[in-house]
Amino acid sequence: MSAPTLRIADLGLGFRTWAGPVEVLHGISLHINKGERVALVGESGSGKSVTARIVLGLLQELRSARISGTVEFEGRDLDRLSARERHALRGTRMSMIFQDPTSSLNPVYRIAPQFHEVLKRADPAISEAAARDRAAALLSAVAIPEPERALDSYSFQLSGGMNQRVMIAMALANEPALLIADEPGTALDVTVQAQTLALMRDMVEEHHTSVLFISHNLGVVREFADRVYVIYKGRIVEHATAEGLFADPRHPYTRALLSAVPRITGGGIPEIEDVSEDYYQPLVVHEGCGEPEGVA
Amino acid sequence: MPPVVRLLAKRLGTSLIVLVGVSMLIFTIARVIPGDPARIALGPNATAEQVEALRERLHLDEALPIQYGYFLRDLSRGDLGISLYTNRPVTADIAQFLPATLELIVVAGLMMILIGLPLGVIAARYRGSWADHAVRIFTLLGVSAPSFVWAVILMLIFAFYLPLFPIAGRIADSYAIASVTGFLTIDTLIAGNLAAFGNAAWHIVLPAFALSLSGIGQAARLTRSNMVETYDKPFIEMARSYGFPERRIARRFAFRPSLIPSLTIIGLDFAAMLGNAFLVEAVFAWPGLSRYGVAVILRKDLNAIVGTVLIISAMFLLVNIIVDLLIAFINPRIRYSQRAS
Amino acid sequence: MKRAAYILVRNPLSLTGVILITLVVFGALFADFIAPFPEHRGAVVDFANFNKPPEWPYLFGTDLVGRDLFSRILYAYRISLLLGAVVLAIAVPVGVTIGLVAGYIGGWTEYVLMRITDVFLSIPPLVLAMSMMGLLEPTLTNGMLAVTAMWWPWYTRLVYNLTRSEKEEGYVLAAEVIGASRTHIIFREILPNCVPSIVTKMTLDLGFVILIASSLSFLGLGVQPPTPDLGSMVADGAKYLPDSWWLTVFPGLAILVAVFGFNLLGDALRDILGVDQ
Repeated sequence: MSAPTLRIADLGLGFRTWAGPVEVLHGISLHINKGERVALVGESGSGKSVTARIVLGLLQELRSARISGTVEFEGRDLDRLSARERHALRGTRMSMIFQDPTSSLNPVYRIAPQFHEVLKRADPAISEAAARDRAAALLSAVAIPEPERALDSYSFQLSGGMNQRVMIAMALANEPALLIADEPGTALDVTVQAQTLALMRDMVEEHHTSVLFISHNLGVVREFADRVYVIYKGRIVEHATAEGLFADPRHPYTRALLSAVPRITGGGIPEIEDVSEDYYQPLVVHEGCGEPEGVA
Repeated sequence: MPPVVRLLAKRLGTSLIVLVGVSMLIFTIARVIPGDPARIALGPNATAEQVEALRERLHLDEALPIQYGYFLRDLSRGDLGISLYTNRPVTADIAQFLPATLELIVVAGLMMILIGLPLGVIAARYRGSWADHAVRIFTLLGVSAPSFVWAVILMLIFAFYLPLFPIAGRIADSYAIASVTGFLTIDTLIAGNLAAFGNAAWHIVLPAFALSLSGIGQAARLTRSNMVETYDKPFIEMARSYGFPERRIARRFAFRPSLIPSLTIIGLDFAAMLGNAFLVEAVFAWPGLSRYGVAVILRKDLNAIVGTVLIISAMFLLVNIIVDLLIAFINPRIRYSQRAS
Repeated sequence: MKRAAYILVRNPLSLTGVILITLVVFGALFADFIAPFPEHRGAVVDFANFNKPPEWPYLFGTDLVGRDLFSRILYAYRISLLLGAVVLAIAVPVGVTIGLVAGYIGGWTEYVLMRITDVFLSIPPLVLAMSMMGLLEPTLTNGMLAVTAMWWPWYTRLVYNLTRSEKEEGYVLAAEVIGASRTHIIFREILPNCVPSIVTKMTLDLGFVILIASSLSFLGLGVQPPTPDLGSMVADGAKYLPDSWWLTVFPGLAILVAVFGFNLLGDALRDILGVDQ
């Protein structure tokens, strides 16, 4: 078996602040195989978004951040790469989709030049005309009805759903090995979010792209992911297949999260404890879900 | 009607209303002051008949609204009256002195933009570094002294101790340049006299820099804080996560959205320069509107004061309209939406 | 309080501001005791010691009639600070009230009040004050009047913008729903939320009033001799550059120190009170 697209082992992260050091990640491990969709689920502040930023190599450039452990991307240890080499991976081998598509697009430029900028990451010499043709093709692939018109629009002239489609097209434009989706479309209407997520799923399936899907929304995760890691306060507490997790949640925190989803069938919003000793119980790994042996 | 044209029409309309307000305000201030302006203008030796004749000519015996009516009637013919100080039409006086002041302000404005904006960008990009702190101290000092203090200090250092620049004036007397635009740096080029151009440019450096220092400070501080705010926006994070080069992010992605609020302040700084030019001109003996303005104010030369203030305000409003159009040009949201806020 | 102290200590520039302003205010208040030659504030002549470069006991040298510049600068600070305090004491309440009313009531009231404000704002500040000073007699009172006339619109503009955004906030709507009077909403609900911005601006403006007042007197349109004034000291000395450099440099630096100090203090307050620019 080839190396997983992404393998994180014992990743720790701390920040130096004026109030002293703050530990954000306490040694988390996870992996994503080629073409696999893996979700990292937790409440805000649990450390999911910083994990994404470490994978992208963005936090490494922050002076106040202290990072330990290993992150391997396609078998290469990111720590052993230079800043320049890590930079070269961004936008080419890995890319990202954000919460709010509309504010993720620059408001003072049309879509076309922003797309050109993205395509230049893989092919620095690409001409404006060639970039435009390719962008139009990519936009029609994400079911944007008039790609030419969208290319000449500003983000505020397009609907949130359209912008999200543009973001998906941009994210997959350079055929990345890994797509990181950080709460994709949370800022959108629920129905639009569902549509664009379905689209995203089809697209990554077609391109065999691995996905790290970060979310607090278990309902969305169930639809989208093959495997799930649940994270609580910088620790992975449960690791299971999506089916396994929803059929048989074993960690107290996971059970609390699942019961927090309001049900239409009655009972209203259940009472759950904010903090419980139980949530700090050790990691539960479901059968057949272990971490691969390190080869680095 | 395209939004930009609508914006322009709206701005012109508002400016016209404001300009009428300015004329009423300054006209009222000029007429309700204690003392007889005619007597003050003519001096203590004038006869009662002379004073009465002048009062007649200036319609000083009429009611204030009627005086204002006369004023508006003359204004509509492009006539601002006769200056009691120079005995020439106020418009002729202003036409003679204004170009030198405008040239100074334009050069200072260019300095403000070409120095202030890059300083702000550098400070924001290297936030928290020594460069950021240096820019902060420099810009704070810039806004912390009136331009005449900077003028005196710059003159002392760069004209007296290190005689790099001329002490005063606009151009050496030996050059005779035909006035076309009134801007010596342009007229010398039109005349094809490069030596004269160099001399005029050499003369304008110190006064313009003294005048621009506070504007540089304002522009840099505001650009920095806007850039810092923009750097926290999702589209910058997106640019980073796609690995766009950091230089390109600063210059292209962060700078342009940050420029929009800076431009408004740059417009206001231009206005402040219209006033501060008086101070700098006094230090460098710059033959602009300053000496004329102060002289007519001290002599209570009503027509000249009203005319000068009106022209300066009109220029201020014009600069603001230009700034609004620039913002509309940079900010597509205004160009394409009905609301121009 | 602790947070305020922390911000002041952490940032050396803020601390510098506090120190500078303390020195300036202290010097102005106790000029009678600090100034080596208190009598030099007025029309005193000492030709034996005229135009002396800085040397003991003349810290900053003497002027053309032999008066100690250091003593005169202290007294000039006193007048500048008084002028700044009076101008703000009048301009702020007037400007703030107009801004609150225009911003909250809206409609024609808003249109008329804001256009009037625009009229004042579209005459360059210095030019408006100059014209008023020239037409009135150049006295301290008229100087205050002229600077006040150009200052209030800035507070109107500031508070107007704040009011317009506060108006949409939940707490204002809540007060409207329970039927609070307009006066109550304007002064008891909205105004307290504008206070941090107003206080910050006032601190910065104390410096800028000093700056503008000195500019007026530099042009001969301010406080008249023999009252000591930083702007007219620079103007008088400028004719004797570069030889008698102390005549201009020290009064000039005195303006710079005061305005710089208020700027640093204003920036520190902005951090402490959490005001946006």
